[in-house]
Amino acid sequence: MSDVEIIGLSKDFGSFVAVESVSTIFREGTVTVLLGPSGCGKTTLMRMIVGLEKPTAGQVLIGGEDVTRVATSKRRMGMVFQYPVVYRGTSVARNLELPLIADKVSKGERKKRIDEVAEILGITDLLQVNVDKLDNAGRQKVAVAREVARKPEVLLFDEPITNVDLTSKLELKRALKSVFQELRQTIIYVTHDQTEAMSLADDIALMNDGKIVQLAPPHVLYHEPADVFAGWFLGNPGMNFLRDSFVIEQGVLTSPFLSAPVRVFGDAGRAVVLGIRPEHIGASVEPNSNSVEVAVTSRSISIGGQALLELELDGHGFKAVVDHGSGKKMTDRAWITLPPSKIFLFDSDGRAIVATLSGA
Amino acid sequence: MTTPDGTSSADLPSVRLGEASQRDRRWTLASLFSWVVALIFFAPIAWIAMSAFKTTGQILSVPPLFIFQPTLENFTEMFQDPKIPKFFFNSVLLSVGSVLIAIAVSFLAAYSFSRFKPPGTDFLMFLLLSTRFVPAAAFVIPFFQLFGILNFRNTYVGLIIFYVMFSVPFSVWILKGFIDGVSQRFDETGLVNGASRAHVIFRVVLPQVKPGLVAAFVFNIIFVWNEFLFNFQLGGTDTNSIPVALFTALYQGGAVNWTYVSALGTAYVLPLAVLIYFFQKYLLVGMTFGTVRGEV
Repeated sequence: MSDVEIIGLSKDFGSFVAVESVSTIFREGTVTVLLGPSGCGKTTLMRMIVGLEKPTAGQVLIGGEDVTRVATSKRRMGMVFQYPVVYRGTSVARNLELPLIADKVSKGERKKRIDEVAEILGITDLLQVNVDKLDNAGRQKVAVAREVARKPEVLLFDEPITNVDLTSKLELKRALKSVFQELRQTIIYVTHDQTEAMSLADDIALMNDGKIVQLAPPHVLYHEPADVFAGWFLGNPGMNFLRDSFVIEQGVLTSPFLSAPVRVFGDAGRAVVLGIRPEHIGASVEPNSNSVEVAVTSRSISIGGQALLELELDGHGFKAVVDHGSGKKMTDRAWITLPPSKIFLFDSDGRAIVATLSGA
Repeated sequence: MTTPDGTSSADLPSVRLGEASQRDRRWTLASLFSWVVALIFFAPIAWIAMSAFKTTGQILSVPPLFIFQPTLENFTEMFQDPKIPKFFFNSVLLSVGSVLIAIAVSFLAAYSFSRFKPPGTDFLMFLLLSTRFVPAAAFVIPFFQLFGILNFRNTYVGLIIFYVMFSVPFSVWILKGFIDGVSQRFDETGLVNGASRAHVIFRVVLPQVKPGLVAAFVFNIIFVWNEFLFNFQLGGTDTNSIPVALFTALYQGGAVNWTYVSALGTAYVLPLAVLIYFFQKYLLVGMTFGTVRGEV
């Protein structure tokens, strides 16, 4: 087991910069998920780590050893792709065994490793089945098992459950989770799906435009986004950003969104954007002492029977999530409350400002 | 019981039956028609094959004889010609030899085109086929001169090189289609798992494009087996193949030796007919350039 360190890693495709001078460490024994929208460079970054893509600049270190110029086949890594790669026309066991034979693993050890990994992934009953008979989810399990059985120093996953149908997705995700827990190994996992990232990651490296925006455990990423992109990308729907919607004077923030001014502790002078997550906005049908009246512009039902409201105040459009029952009653008016502790402030570059807000 | 439009429901099945039988009749007509067309196409071969078992008189009789006492004399006579084994040997050596080399070369070329996409791949692929734009006869003179300079005339090496060149373009096209159909993730998984590039090419990709290899092999064998012009021009008595032998036999002794030509023609068609019969399905996948495989 080793950590993976990248230093100033870049990749250009002609004039397009896919990865821009990224430096970070993927800690030993940790599952790090590279999360970001498509085209953000996460797959390119992973392919450079394994050596399938040649970096334009920068270095890749595995366990402190510079492997930037080492051939892929010598990097002692394992990788699972979006497309489930299996050797057709042979049994599952044979699929797992072939790379082990190539690695000159003894027969007894081969059997031991195959049985072990099959047990973790729940494919023991399938070992003698021809892989051609398996569906995509089954084949992907075989691909995962094959890489795990090789015991590489680092395991890489490139959107492994994207090609799998919805019902098998959950099962495969569960299987991966148990593999990860069992292995406690250095794992880098690429996905664009935030729920997948949240449920599998120890750390999430959020990527945008070829850079890592923030590398942090999932709950930190959710509760302390480093910038507006992080706030927007995590959460469904993403965070609301209200530009020029408040004034801060002498440590006191006043805003039409708040019934009373709140105190700001920290260096909030540069703040121009106020961020609030839709699920943190309290909305009710009746006014109360600290609520503000807003217009309801549209209403839709989102996941879990919750209602997603589109609201407007002072020319600012924003979203809020409320329970279905009260959502139903908010036809054109609603009264909202913004808990000060859930408010984020960002500067003109979109960077988060470290500040605490509290009611007067 | 009646239906809304007044006809009794008992009539309905028979109406449908009528439609069905009409469809059947059309189907029968269509297949009958295709059989007739196929038989017309097959007629010259049938004529040669029948003639191989006839005497000269029977061959030339008008109207043609369909019922006759078959004789094997034409074949025994033909095989008494000391040059015949040589012709067969040459045909087999030139076609099998050159096509095997061509496929080995084409497979590696197709792999490179498919995976490494060197700059100008599309143009190179286009250029490869360009030799097929012009009728072969247009190349005869330059090749004749070139082969003279290189001392390649009437040599196996020269002709095999020529036929390799003749077979490579089409083979690269077929095989690239097939290799494109094998996900690159196979290559990459192999490399990550510690395999060499050679292992990936021959042990991972090659087994998955076997139908393409067979298709390219059969197609090119057909081309080379039937090639006449260049064998006639660039070859000689040591290297002539059966098509040239058939051509020269037509003019042997001032008159067409019909029994010889038909016996040799039949013996010549047979190996190819057997090959094509057994590999029909590969010809079909070959003609689609491996694209009908529904895979990412």
